[in-house]
Amino acid sequence: MARLNDDAQWIVLMGFLVSFSFFFLALVINQSTIVGQTTAESVIEFSKNDIRDIRDVIITNTTLSNLTVINNDITNISLSCKSAVVYYNNEDHFIHYYNGVTRYNERNWTV
Amino acid sequence: MTDDSGTLSIDFIAGFTIFLLAFIWVLSMVPGLLVNLQGYTIDYDAVAYRTGVILVEDPGWPASPPWESQQNFSVTRFGLAVSRDTPNILSQEKVDRFFSNTSVYGAFVYPDDYHQRVIFGDYPYRFNVSLLDVENNQLRSVGDVVPEGYGYIRRVVKIKGLSNATIDAPLYKNPDNNVTTHEFSILVNNSGLKEQKNPAYEIDPARDQIMVNITDLRLTISNQTQAPSVNITLTNINVYKLDGGILSLVRTFNTPYIDENSSTTQPPVEVKNNVSLKFSPAFFDILNAGSSPIFINLSFNLNNGGSSYYSQFLNNTWSSPFDYDYDTPEVTQPRLRDAMVEVAVW
Amino acid sequence: MVKNDNGQLYTIEGFAAGLIMVITAYLVVNATSVYTAGDTHINDMQLEALGSDALRMMDIPINATESDNRHSDLRTIIENSQFDTFRIKFLDYTNESGSGPGHDIQFNASYTCRDDSSNDVQSVQMVNSRNLTGGEHTVRSTKWVIVDIGCPPEASRERAVLVEVLLWRD
Repeated sequence: MARLNDDAQWIVLMGFLVSFSFFFLALVINQSTIVGQTTAESVIEFSKNDIRDIRDVIITNTTLSNLTVINNDITNISLSCKSAVVYYNNEDHFIHYYNGVTRYNERNWTV
Repeated sequence: MTDDSGTLSIDFIAGFTIFLLAFIWVLSMVPGLLVNLQGYTIDYDAVAYRTGVILVEDPGWPASPPWESQQNFSVTRFGLAVSRDTPNILSQEKVDRFFSNTSVYGAFVYPDDYHQRVIFGDYPYRFNVSLLDVENNQLRSVGDVVPEGYGYIRRVVKIKGLSNATIDAPLYKNPDNNVTTHEFSILVNNSGLKEQKNPAYEIDPARDQIMVNITDLRLTISNQTQAPSVNITLTNINVYKLDGGILSLVRTFNTPYIDENSSTTQPPVEVKNNVSLKFSPAFFDILNAGSSPIFINLSFNLNNGGSSYYSQFLNNTWSSPFDYDYDTPEVTQPRLRDAMVEVAVW
Repeated sequence: MVKNDNGQLYTIEGFAAGLIMVITAYLVVNATSVYTAGDTHINDMQLEALGSDALRMMDIPINATESDNRHSDLRTIIENSQFDTFRIKFLDYTNESGSGPGHDIQFNASYTCRDDSSNDVQSVQMVNSRNLTGGEHTVRSTKWVIVDIGCPPEASRERAVLVEVLLWRD
């Protein structure tokens, strides 16, 4: 049987090689615009204002009369509305905050 | 028999040439895939946000002694907040230095000085930072005119106002007519002033300007029919520091504003009715008092037709110094007023 | 004359390869739309910064005396239910424009309080600048305030409430 002449196959294969690598490059670039996190997203995600706010309300209100009830207020409302665990203690002066993404711990806070 | 003549057939060359041409053309399309990946509009907004945070939430560097009273080359980073613990509350002195183009310490030049100290980065961003003082309806800005298409952030802030004291002289006169020279003492009790822990309300003479206005001097003279012919002379203003129980003269204050004059006059000087003393932060900073009290003594001489004149006058040597403090009713406490900072970057 | 057309192979293969590459390149370059998905988040970030700032400014006492008595605008508004004042003040802060663009920011405000005996958390509507139709893309800003009010059925006491404001641009 006469063998098909496949001497020049390598040219076509080179063509295929270039095409496939092209496809791969395009795929990678396309995915990169979606899976990355933009600056704005990182800014929103980091709970700077939440932590500052919690800290302010705890530290500047240490002379109220019913601190335990207020502690319960803050802990429960934070959990149900902000999905953040807040645990603090006025005597031992520590604050713990965790909203699932950012954890904040402070010890020995001073007024 | 193998062909080892070393020549290529025409058809091979033709085919290979077509392949090569197509390959090169396709390669030149690859940069087109990558060119859209740098989204400049996102970048500008991020830089504007960062600049907004640096200006509004940070006191700048160096923080103590503060950057607003240093030469240009010593300032590493701008920041308008009163302190690290009071974000969004701006200090009047820092605002003045940031926006002014005349300052004894040196003015900052747009864009280079600002770029190194608040924008950062290698790319030559252009920007415009503006502050709207809502209460006084005053807009201050630094930078270029804003074009179409820019990154932008707006922060709502409060500006900490200055404190001052207005002293009605007739309320502080001595009880009898037996002296011709009078001394009025003002106490700046640094340790007492530090009792206010919140920097937003603290009277801090080393950081904010303080002002003392003494009014109606002529009304203190007991004989009001003779009062118009009496010469009131402010002879000197001495500054004392009480350190470890020892009262020592530190310096004299030579720049009071007398009556309605717009510039200062060095004592001894004749006064009609009013004396205003403006103490810049540098004045108290140089004294380096720490927690020691500072006494500012104003000395007055009364004269009528060439001879000394006996009368009651502004004089608190018999009682206690005027305490520039939080509880004194004549002292207007620092007050926060609304403002807005806008940063545009392109 | 012997026609040697063995080399046609190379030519044809070259054409074929070239054609494959060019078609692929064309498809690829036309297909990748570089969609910068982060665009919507910039607005969110700006709105969130603005909302937090505005709430915070409303809760700062204007001088030391007010601070000692724990008096701030926001506290007074909640304790006396002056919700229209809240609307006016909040819109003042968010829609103030200096040299920048004007704004048309709308909001919904409410606060959440907790009843100590039943441990129930309930939300009290304050004021809206406009009712939500459901199609808006909103951002939430919150602020903790200590106020002396009741949370039905509980009577007045010093309590911590969370003021929530939903903001959006029209």
